[in-house]
Amino acid sequence: MDFNLSPESKMMVKAAKDFCEKEIGPIIDEIIEKDDYPDDLLLSFAKARMLGLNIPKEYGGVGTTNLNTILITEELGKTGSVCAYPMLMNNSTAETIDYWGSEDVKKEFLPPLCDGSAYASTAFTEPGTGSDPRALTTTAVPDGSDFIVNGTKRYITGGNKKGYGVFYFKDEALKGEKGDVTAFIVDKSSEGYTTSAPWNLMGLEGMNCVDVFLNDVRVPGSSILGERGNGFKILLRWIAGERIQQAAYMVGLGQAALDESVKYLGERVVGGKPMGFMQGFQWMLAEMKGRLEACRYLTYRAACLQDEGNAIDIDSSELKVFVIPAIQEITRMALQIHGSYGYSKEYKVERLFRYAAHAGVVASSSEINKTIAGSALLKSRR
Amino acid sequence: MNIIVCIKQVPDVTEVSWDPETGSLIRKGIPSIINPNDKNAIEAALQLREMNGGEVTVISMGPSQVEEALREALGMGVDRAIQLTAKQFAGSDTWATAYTLGLAMKKIGQYDLIICGKEAIDGMTAQVGPQLAEYLGLPQLAYAMHIEVVDSKVRVKQKLGDLDRLLEAPMPALITVEREAYQPRVAPMDTILEAYGKEIPVWKPDDLNGEVENFGLTGSPTKLRKVYTPKLIKGKIEMLEGGPEDVARKFIGKLKEKYIL
Ligand SMILES: Cc1cc2nc3c(=O)[nH]c(=O)nc-3n(C[C@H](O)[C@H](O)[C@@H](O)COP(=O)(O)OP(=O)(O)OC[C@H]3O[C@@H](n4cnc5c(N)ncnc54)[C@H](O)[C@@H]3O)c2cc1C
Ligand SMILES: Cc1cc2nc3c(=O)[nH]c(=O)nc-3n(C[C@H](O)[C@H](O)[C@H](O)COP(=O)(O)OP(=O)(O)OC[C@H]3O[C@@H](n4cnc5c(N)ncnc54)[C@H](O)[C@@H]3O)c2cc1C
Repeated sequence: MDFNLSPESKMMVKAAKDFCEKEIGPIIDEIIEKDDYPDDLLLSFAKARMLGLNIPKEYGGVGTTNLNTILITEELGKTGSVCAYPMLMNNSTAETIDYWGSEDVKKEFLPPLCDGSAYASTAFTEPGTGSDPRALTTTAVPDGSDFIVNGTKRYITGGNKKGYGVFYFKDEALKGEKGDVTAFIVDKSSEGYTTSAPWNLMGLEGMNCVDVFLNDVRVPGSSILGERGNGFKILLRWIAGERIQQAAYMVGLGQAALDESVKYLGERVVGGKPMGFMQGFQWMLAEMKGRLEACRYLTYRAACLQDEGNAIDIDSSELKVFVIPAIQEITRMALQIHGSYGYSKEYKVERLFRYAAHAGVVASSSEINKTIAGSALLKSRR
Repeated sequence: MNIIVCIKQVPDVTEVSWDPETGSLIRKGIPSIINPNDKNAIEAALQLREMNGGEVTVISMGPSQVEEALREALGMGVDRAIQLTAKQFAGSDTWATAYTLGLAMKKIGQYDLIICGKEAIDGMTAQVGPQLAEYLGLPQLAYAMHIEVVDSKVRVKQKLGDLDRLLEAPMPALITVEREAYQPRVAPMDTILEAYGKEIPVWKPDDLNGEVENFGLTGSPTKLRKVYTPKLIKGKIEMLEGGPEDVARKFIGKLKEKYIL
């Protein structure tokens, strides 16, 4: 068991840090103010070759490991900005297309996701369902070699940004069969594709979560991802990977919360003494650091399991069950350490606290993950 | 067009600490980085390559850990790296450094430009570039803010205080780059991966065809006799308030009080 990162990984982390300082730091305030990121954000990721990280070079990707991908995501998390999301949506959507797609599908859709010309989305949630994707109501009806799709998708990250999305629809021709959900790659500028204004979220300004209205959108049959009726499997595999990405982002937020707290405790004087001399705060730091390291290594381990080709559905659920509340608690402590300043938007910890809240309800809720991890333990006993 | 960039690995600190006994740098526990100014030199070379084609080679003299700095330069996108590491090179002053680098340039043979940083953050002499140009008999264009190749000549915009000068020289030539010019790029992730697949040759005195007595400490005419931190005189700060005349009077009074006047 080797806990050391390889020299390549270390240099990638360094480059990601450098990227965050040069490209992300200067635009954070504007993103928060406008609740949107600049259109060319994805291009700056592409220039630093941070897109298509897991995609083979022949399709325009970088061809590196999941571990390196999450190390980069962690660095982006430290900025306390939404910017990790457009990057990781492109990476995870491209990875899904690479895993399930036919050669033609890969050739068509992977290069634009890797070169930053297309923003990726993944769409399963609907007004009537989030946790139970089997209850989908959006439909795809065959029409010659095409399909006509109708319905509403809810909370689709980047659904309003030019590019492609993997959408999950009820495949009407498969009605009554065991698997009736099919994954389609939808061009977000198709006729009949419209979106709502972004949801006004508690945090993650610039996330661009929109409702997508599909009104007789024609999708060519050549855009089907994987086998027809296999959508549910594709979705579950994507979500499992997404949990690891999300955990890495959370570790980044947690590290930022700890860094801010250490800085603040070293500077702030209360009753003539720097706050850092007060034992109560030292204990808080110790708890924050201990939890953070546990979260970090659990996340790295999940990514390594993934790199070794293991199924990660259960491990990634266990990961989420531990990491989400732990990081949320770390950001809460950071807010508390900062006193009234922690409740002010002038301080980074305020938004770290708000941003950390999203993880319990995005890319499968905490409760669903507890159910997955807990029932798996019982299943193994049977 | 072939470009060679000289980089130095330095400790990552704004202020270096010294061992008062030996007079040497305390490097223990301090991470090493590419001299920040040398990253500007690398960036300049990469941009020139993008415009004019050719190859960029990076070279560094130092202990075995300079490999790390060279890998980082490869990660930024230079084509190849050469490492000068041998115990005979240790303790080089600027003369011996320029001599050793110069021999390496001769061994490389074919180049159009050599680009150095203006100065290293630790030694801070800003001499190595110019000395190397002297040794190789090349035109030297220092303090470059902008570099351009026009009709097989190199043009450099040079910043000298309030003055900007435009210099031109035939190639090969040596350029030293300012800290403010050519902000270094973020190393792209795929290039980083490639950087670890490349071989870095390590050249030793035998590879360089030089005079053994000219290398390292023995070859260095400058001897570091002593390094010390000047004693700071600690005192109290007193703010004098009032109008200019009033303050001046109070000030004179204070100086008299202390028998300075
Ligand atoms: C605090 C301190 C003071 C010193 N004072 C003197 C002194 O007064 N006289 C003296 O002769 N020596 C001095 N030395 C030794 C000197 O620093 C180095 O030994 C010498 O190799 C480089 O000089 P520099 O650091 O001043 O580099 P500079 O001349 O400031 O560096 C200019 C450029 O030369 C290139 N370069 C420098 N070193 C290397 C290298 N090893 N490999 C590749 N490229 C390189 C880089 O492009 C760099 O940006 C001093 C060292 C220290 C740490
Ligand atoms: C910022 C943000 C970004 C998002 N991005 C996307 C996106 O890009 N694409 C996309 O498709 N969706 C996206 N979503 C939607 C998100 O994935 C869903 O909100 C999530 O899956 C939960 O679904 P729901 O909101 O419908 O909750 P519901 O399913 O209605 O659940 C409500 C509550 O009941 C609990 N619950 C539900 N079922 C069970 C059960 N069987 N046992 C125990 N408890 C249960 C849940 O844990 C939750 O607490 C995003 C949401 C947000 C907030």
